[in-house]
Amino acid sequence: MTAAVLAAPGVPRTRVLRWGPAGYIAGRVLQAAGVLWAAYTVTFVILWLLPSDPLALVLSANNVELDSLTPAQLAEAQARYGLDQPVLTQYWTMLTNALHGDLGTSTTKGVPVTQLIAERLPGTLQLSGLAILLALGGGVLVAWLAAYVRWSPLRLLLTRLPSAGVAFPSFWIGLLLIQVFAFGLGWLPSTGSAGPQALILPAVTMAIPTGAAFAQVLTRSLTDTLAEPYITTATATGLSRAAVIGRHALRNAALPTLTILGLLVGGTVTGAIVTETVFARQGVGTLAQESVLNQDVPVVQAVVVLAAAAFVLVNLLVDLLYPLLDPRIARSR
Amino acid sequence: MTLSRRFATLASATAVTALLAACSTAGATGTDPTEDAGDPVSGGTLDVAFFPDNAAFACVDPFQTYWIEHRTVIRNFADSLTDQDPETGELVPWLATDWQVSDDGLSYTFDLRDDVTFSDGTAFTADSVKLAFDSGAATLEQLPTAYGAVYLAGYDSTEVVDGDTVVVHFSTPNSAFLQGTSTTNLAILAASSYQATPEERCLGDVVGSGPFVLEDYSPGEKTVLTKREGYDWGSELREHSGEAYLDGITFTYVAEDSVRVGQLTSDAIDIAWPRNPISENDTALIQSSGDSVVSRSLPGPANTYYPNVADGKILADEQVRLALQKAIDRDSYASTIFGTEYPAVTSIYDTTTPSYQDHTDDLAYDADGAADLLDEAGWTLGDDGYRYKDGQKLTLSTPVIAQFSAGDQLIQDQLKAVGIDLELNVITQAQRSEVLAAGDYDLISTYYTRADPGVIQWIVDARYAGSQAQAVNALTADQTAEVQALLDRGTTTLDATARSEVYAELQDYYLEHALAFPTFERVQTAGVSAAVHGFRFTSESFGDFADTWITP
Repeated sequence: MTAAVLAAPGVPRTRVLRWGPAGYIAGRVLQAAGVLWAAYTVTFVILWLLPSDPLALVLSANNVELDSLTPAQLAEAQARYGLDQPVLTQYWTMLTNALHGDLGTSTTKGVPVTQLIAERLPGTLQLSGLAILLALGGGVLVAWLAAYVRWSPLRLLLTRLPSAGVAFPSFWIGLLLIQVFAFGLGWLPSTGSAGPQALILPAVTMAIPTGAAFAQVLTRSLTDTLAEPYITTATATGLSRAAVIGRHALRNAALPTLTILGLLVGGTVTGAIVTETVFARQGVGTLAQESVLNQDVPVVQAVVVLAAAAFVLVNLLVDLLYPLLDPRIARSR
Repeated sequence: MTLSRRFATLASATAVTALLAACSTAGATGTDPTEDAGDPVSGGTLDVAFFPDNAAFACVDPFQTYWIEHRTVIRNFADSLTDQDPETGELVPWLATDWQVSDDGLSYTFDLRDDVTFSDGTAFTADSVKLAFDSGAATLEQLPTAYGAVYLAGYDSTEVVDGDTVVVHFSTPNSAFLQGTSTTNLAILAASSYQATPEERCLGDVVGSGPFVLEDYSPGEKTVLTKREGYDWGSELREHSGEAYLDGITFTYVAEDSVRVGQLTSDAIDIAWPRNPISENDTALIQSSGDSVVSRSLPGPANTYYPNVADGKILADEQVRLALQKAIDRDSYASTIFGTEYPAVTSIYDTTTPSYQDHTDDLAYDADGAADLLDEAGWTLGDDGYRYKDGQKLTLSTPVIAQFSAGDQLIQDQLKAVGIDLELNVITQAQRSEVLAAGDYDLISTYYTRADPGVIQWIVDARYAGSQAQAVNALTADQTAEVQALLDRGTTTLDATARSEVYAELQDYYLEHALAFPTFERVQTAGVSAAVHGFRFTSESFGDFADTWITP
């Protein structure tokens, strides 16, 4: 999906070459901006199509029904939230403000969305970051062991383990971990976000499905790679089994997993919703959940754009990394 | 949020052994944290885990918030003019030492204590009271729909007579005002709080004169109270009037019932304070670990379906309403949804509401009686088990917000047994207004927490109601005249006994004409650690921690 995406049908490949790596990167950045704009717009349209009146929502948050307001109060309230403008005007105002870094004000919390995100993002970044690291480490370890171990029952178990990890719902894993490590053994706090210890259980909870998906792909890919003739060659040179798998097979087998890594990072945003709820942490996940339930349009928009940005950024990085990891891709360009 | 029900199911599954124990031990409490347990010991921090904070409206301003957990927090950092006895409903002195009400019910004179200070060091005076009520009125100018509106209905002005005497004037009578002065909603804050905007107050810019001081409010995360040094003006309803025994209280917000209970049984917290009653299994778990469960009904209108009796609606026919009343099995509702020890609802009010009358007989389950009434009304049973009249199916629609619908599904089953089709129209909170305004419903479920029967006006009296449409649809024109006349007698009658008679008459009227269909008694439960003593429920079933102490 690298050069092919950029080179539109009919455009000679030499033009891509002529633009060089800088042109390639510029093109990808433009594409990323397009994706962000599309995410923003689609969210706006969907939220607009939802059957309820945003004003009714804001008011019912204050335990008041729309119909108890006088027309004058109603008009004033609409003007206060900018809801008296035509839809396109509202869209245009929101979009231009967003481009200037103003994501609007939360209709239910009454504070600027940027402030909300700034408060909630660090916790989620820590959580997702640690979860991804654990997922990668765990995923590679399981896949490597599955390839290395010769005793077939254990090998089978290690190959099947990732499927189990993917299958268990993460709220269940979270509750199980809480029962064992917080309530049973008392090693770690069950909820909250005070201190690094509080990060461990939620990060493990998030890492299990992510790492399992990663391990699934890597195990399959490793099995295929180990059947390649050059592995036989490597073994024939007298290298140890561990070295053959680690140095020769894993490098080549890792390529397909790079692609799903992009997807998995995007998936941590949705994973955070469940994990943060179970572990009573305040983060972007719970913010997304709250704002969707209360139809807090500016916040939902911001969270969607944020998730899309993370997604786009990671995929961009992955695409740029490919040629470095596999010289064949760079040459084909 | 369907997740939480799945979590709850899972929690039940993990407690299979407890289930067996539950049959014999539910209801029996271990050590009673409300009982005397020797000499109180000072010190320690009380850790309380609440249901999640209000995501839609994070607010700890007494006048604006309606979230019952926040009202517990407020009770501990702000004092009110009066206090209400949970046993008798009587008002006793607190910041006010005495009061008189004028014969026309329009003026309330309060004599105030002169030795009270707010936690910022400023003195509590007659001016503080005037400022508090005037600021309430000013908040209503800006936010006409703030929750305090119903407590200050008809407010005109406050007159400072001297340093420790005020007269509060009303333009229209509001006999519930006196009870209102005991609530958290009309708690008196320091002048500095009223210089802040209503939004700033919501987010924690509030200074009270209570036994604790609000140190930090981080919405959704935690609320921290610290002990107020030198506090010496608790009401007589407390065991002692002086400083709190605790150094402080930390409230956290935990979404999962099973996690909250696990935190209590593993001693990570001292009190688990849920929104929905603690389940039978969790009660057994808590008791088996030596802790206890305390409970008290939340006063005010019970959880109730109010009908839409507008012309052309099926429930405009009183016969059908009476049948519907008989078709609901409230005992089975209480035991199925909440557990075998859970009380069934017995009136349109919960039992702790002053003027509550026991109407168990009027709310008795009688499926045969319901079927007879429906037959008489011309609704005959069709082949599909539902009733029809002139080709129209007996379908009643009620809007439900998905996360609270387990009980509605049970009612749906119960009504099906007599041939009534209850349609659960699943909507989001946001759509509720539209459904109400369009009159697109037959039954709508609601409740209210206040230890005064008059608060039903907020639901059924179009002159005061939170939703016009809902109030207008809840009564026919003739019934509106009768009910409003009764409610007016309620708000203008000052004598407590006479007032109780008025609300007794109201309950009779409502059940005689089947104008409200109570479904369940709302009970506040809390799991309390064995180390905690001196816990007290206020008259509105909030937690008062001034007397609370922890065994070191």
